[in-house]
Amino acid sequence: MIRQILAFLKKDLLIESSYPLSFFFDIFSVLTSVVSYFFIDKLFGGRMAPQLEEFGVNYFSYVLLASAFFSYVGMGLGSFAGQLRQEQLQGTLEAVIAAPTRTAVFLFSMAAWNVLLATIKLLVFIIVGISCFRIDFSRANVFSCLAVLVLAVTSFSALGILSASFVLVTKRGNPLSWLISSAEGLLGGVYFPVTVLPAWLAFFSRLLPITYAIRAIQYACFRGSSITELLPQLVPLLIFAVVLLPVSVKVFSLALCRARANGTLAQF
Amino acid sequence: MVSVENVSKIFPAPFSFSGLFCPRSRDRCAAHALNGISFDVAGGESLAILGPNGAGKTTLLKIIATLVLPDSGSVTVAGLAAGSADRKIRSLIGFVSGDERSFYWRLTGRQNLEFFAALYGLSKQATRSRIEYLLDIFCVDYGDRRFDSYSSGMRRRFALMRALLHEPALMLLDEPTQNLDHASADMVRCLIRDRLALGNNTTVIFTTHNLQEAADSAQRFLILDKGRIAGTGTLDALRRQAGEPGADLDRIYLKLTETHVP
Repeated sequence: MIRQILAFLKKDLLIESSYPLSFFFDIFSVLTSVVSYFFIDKLFGGRMAPQLEEFGVNYFSYVLLASAFFSYVGMGLGSFAGQLRQEQLQGTLEAVIAAPTRTAVFLFSMAAWNVLLATIKLLVFIIVGISCFRIDFSRANVFSCLAVLVLAVTSFSALGILSASFVLVTKRGNPLSWLISSAEGLLGGVYFPVTVLPAWLAFFSRLLPITYAIRAIQYACFRGSSITELLPQLVPLLIFAVVLLPVSVKVFSLALCRARANGTLAQF
Repeated sequence: MVSVENVSKIFPAPFSFSGLFCPRSRDRCAAHALNGISFDVAGGESLAILGPNGAGKTTLLKIIATLVLPDSGSVTVAGLAAGSADRKIRSLIGFVSGDERSFYWRLTGRQNLEFFAALYGLSKQATRSRIEYLLDIFCVDYGDRRFDSYSSGMRRRFALMRALLHEPALMLLDEPTQNLDHASADMVRCLIRDRLALGNNTTVIFTTHNLQEAADSAQRFLILDKGRIAGTGTLDALRRQAGEPGADLDRIYLKLTETHVP
């Protein structure tokens, strides 16, 4: 299993390194986002809005962490479907499926490179935030941060696998990916805290794992909240992860059966 | 080694708005690929599947490779039932598809083989020695060039090498000599006839439109026409089925598939 995951990782690394500019611009886009948030914050005088008081930081610190975290866990959502689509378009999906690889190993191997790339981007976000913009992470609780990361990545990976199931059957036009990525930007508290939303929209935000994940990571990084203090956020994330992950792998297996029944594995 | 029992397959029509409102149009567009196919292949035997375009040859290979599910009927490979032991079956099979896009074109040929060897569970050392062996017997000295620089024939060689990486007990080859030059095609025929099928006790099932190639390489034949078996068995058995004693495979094929040459 490890050998298969490493093989996918090596393959994706080799392919990615054959497009050297792509990696450079990926990292460069992180820097442009950070600078954009900085100037938006400057526009409003760098004051702490009342809705941000619970986190104890200004808008720039809030949005930098939230968007860095969202791009990290959002990778879970996009990478499975994106990678699967790429295999379809390249024509390699059928050859990979023809090998005796477990469905779960195949799924997680596909995402391995994206996890690595997203980790590098997250580090760039944090390093730039600390060194260039003096964002204060001194109170961060590392264990709480790791707990939030693990649970958030698991929940988002499950959503990503569900999304990949659509790609396997419908090829293009993935309603789940569209729904979740649109809803999460608006309702998940990435660009502003969900407390600014009207009550009826805030209700929908509670149905999304990103809402709990963003709040938990802000508390863990800026207030140094312990795992016990984060339980109101971690428990819903745990439920999302425990329920969604096996369901998503099962749904993917069913989608694979459907593609085999329709003879569309090699189609794109 | 392989047992196919009463396998049928209809591919549903692709989604269309007219099909949504008119089931008849949907049914009309459905492709009837295979209908009640049954045959057995013994261990070490080589079987050529023949038939006109659209006869169901590739679908049949993909069903045996567990890449397509039949609507009805059953397939067993080495006593393992397809549908319940797919992963074990896949580990026994080397499949060469007709699609040359099935490689990563930004990688070298060798890197592609290394990747697929890992998927088949070969150790690093076994991978290295197996790849060297295959590059040698396929006379390939361009393994470290990028795959997108290869000609169609070169890609075909790599498809064959990939299928042989894990020393499969069953080789499924979809038109293995397609796009190969004369010498390479001859080498593949020898590989089917001598090295694989007889030397290593590997069972080979291959499709081809080249009847001479089939006659030279296979011990038995399965002729498909419009998804049904038009004839099966050794050359002598086919002669009896066609009522053409002493005829060659070309003549038998034309008779059994009722192909009329203008």
